[in-house]
Amino acid sequence: MDIQKIDQILNLIEKTSFVEVEVEQDGLRVRARKGASSSSSLNVETNSAVDVQAMSKSVADEKNDKRIMSRSPLVGTFYRAPSPNASPFIEVGDLVKKGQVLCIVEAMKLMNEVESEVEGKVVSVYVENAQPVEYGEPLFLIETC
Amino acid sequence: MFSKILIANRGEIALRIIRACKELGIKTVAVYSEDDANALHVRFADEAVCIGPSETHKSYLNIPSIISAAEITDTEAIHPGYGFLSENHRFVEICETCKIQFIGPSLESIKQMGDKARAREIMGASGITVIPGSGTALENDRDASEIAHEIGFPVIIKAAGGGGGRGMRVVHNDASFPKAFMTAQAEAVSSFNNPKLYIEKLIEEPRHIEFQILGDQHGNIIHLGERDCSTQRRYQKLIEESPSTCLTPDLRERMGKAAIKAAKTVNYYSTGTIEFLLDKNNNFYFMEMNTRIQVEHPVTEMVTGIDLIKEQIKVACGEGLSYSQDDIRLRGHAIECRINAENPKTFIPCPGTITSLHLPGGPGVRIDTAAYLNCKISPYYDSLIVKLIVHGNDRQEAIRRMQRALEEFIIEGIDTTIPFHLEMLKNEAFIDGNINTEFLCRLDAN
Repeated sequence: MDIQKIDQILNLIEKTSFVEVEVEQDGLRVRARKGASSSSSLNVETNSAVDVQAMSKSVADEKNDKRIMSRSPLVGTFYRAPSPNASPFIEVGDLVKKGQVLCIVEAMKLMNEVESEVEGKVVSVYVENAQPVEYGEPLFLIETC
Repeated sequence: MFSKILIANRGEIALRIIRACKELGIKTVAVYSEDDANALHVRFADEAVCIGPSETHKSYLNIPSIISAAEITDTEAIHPGYGFLSENHRFVEICETCKIQFIGPSLESIKQMGDKARAREIMGASGITVIPGSGTALENDRDASEIAHEIGFPVIIKAAGGGGGRGMRVVHNDASFPKAFMTAQAEAVSSFNNPKLYIEKLIEEPRHIEFQILGDQHGNIIHLGERDCSTQRRYQKLIEESPSTCLTPDLRERMGKAAIKAAKTVNYYSTGTIEFLLDKNNNFYFMEMNTRIQVEHPVTEMVTGIDLIKEQIKVACGEGLSYSQDDIRLRGHAIECRINAENPKTFIPCPGTITSLHLPGGPGVRIDTAAYLNCKISPYYDSLIVKLIVHGNDRQEAIRRMQRALEEFIIEGIDTTIPFHLEMLKNEAFIDGNINTEFLCRLDAN
């Protein structure tokens, strides 16, 4: 699902009397809820310990929820925890701060810590531990306040 | 034989390599920038990994990303194609360290031939005639001025760190030398991060004749004949053909021997090309060696019937050459037109979307392209979109065939250089086989 489809879904709900819609496709879930106030800005969030800008946007434009997709800034292997026996950096439902380490992406034997660019609550985790990820692959969905 | 190869490239050459792999039963991994998410090489490969955003230094030149992609896909070997990392010795070293086979020549030969000034020294030392010029690379414009004077004007300044027309300046007299040197140096620094230049005597109206080399890791080296690439604009090749109209069998034999000697001097294996300049008196001079597969390799494939990419892959896994020099015969005549997404008169690049596409066909016509209907030609990468190659029983048939194929070719939505090629193919000098590398400059000037 890409940003255009999400925009289309949102525009569609605008025209209806539905208050909340949730759509899921290919492991990505989008939930939009109509609210009284509107937020004006589109967040382009970055999430990296390496100097790369992730290309992701808020999935709820002008709605109450602001959900940021955190994408992998590099190619490698995704790890939820700092080591095999340790507990994961974060779980669904956790509150994270800006700069907090979310996961590790290992590339060429180097462990790269991927940091959160936003403050919010972890809504979803898209990749299983020790799975390969490519540049731009969705890792987490974070709901900012 | 390898079970999986990653292609560290994009566009038509990535497709070319994937095709050879499929025929050899080798699994393929494509890497791509976000811009290329819908590219053919991504769709045709068995697996694909996104390695970065559109900018080449963040994607196709991003060594950690590419090596990472190879690791997560359990790739055994990487084919670098041409351009990008194909002659980058840091990349070759890293492949070796990570135990990934680099499909190409040895690190040592890439290093030696990559420094163009050093390459001239090495060849000169082994008795191969090089273009008269400066012995070593120069950084200082005063020393260079003296040497230029000794060599005798006109001279050409070139970058030791690379080619493609960048860092090159023709100088006709002492007075204009210092400024030309400094401009060339600035260009060399920005293109290759290397301020070293060298000087050659300018060969007037030269023909660019290059020989295709193929070697294996057991010391066997053969040549597969020549390609005449004299139709150039600003040192960029536009039309290539084989055989060359100006090589007698004797000249071909002598140049072929010189090419093999050059390759043996650096213990070369894999595919490579020795570039010579031929002057008006049929003297040939070593210019440089390219240690990779080249854009115009299909021309040689059409006249020899040999699949150079397959041979490259076989050599990389340690196999011996399937051919001896006696097996190599040039049959008929082949011509390639490089069709770019550029204005046919000004050559200004014209990215955009292809809204209509009809490819030529019929006997003796080969198309190497990654373009397809509705594809976007990106401004981030080079403007070559199609290689149109024809083969005929002789040069006359090949020319007629190319004219016919160009006339059938429809690409709409972007500018292409098809009209330029149509003009060239009708040009008397071209038809008579009287083209040299300055031909287009003169045409432009008129």
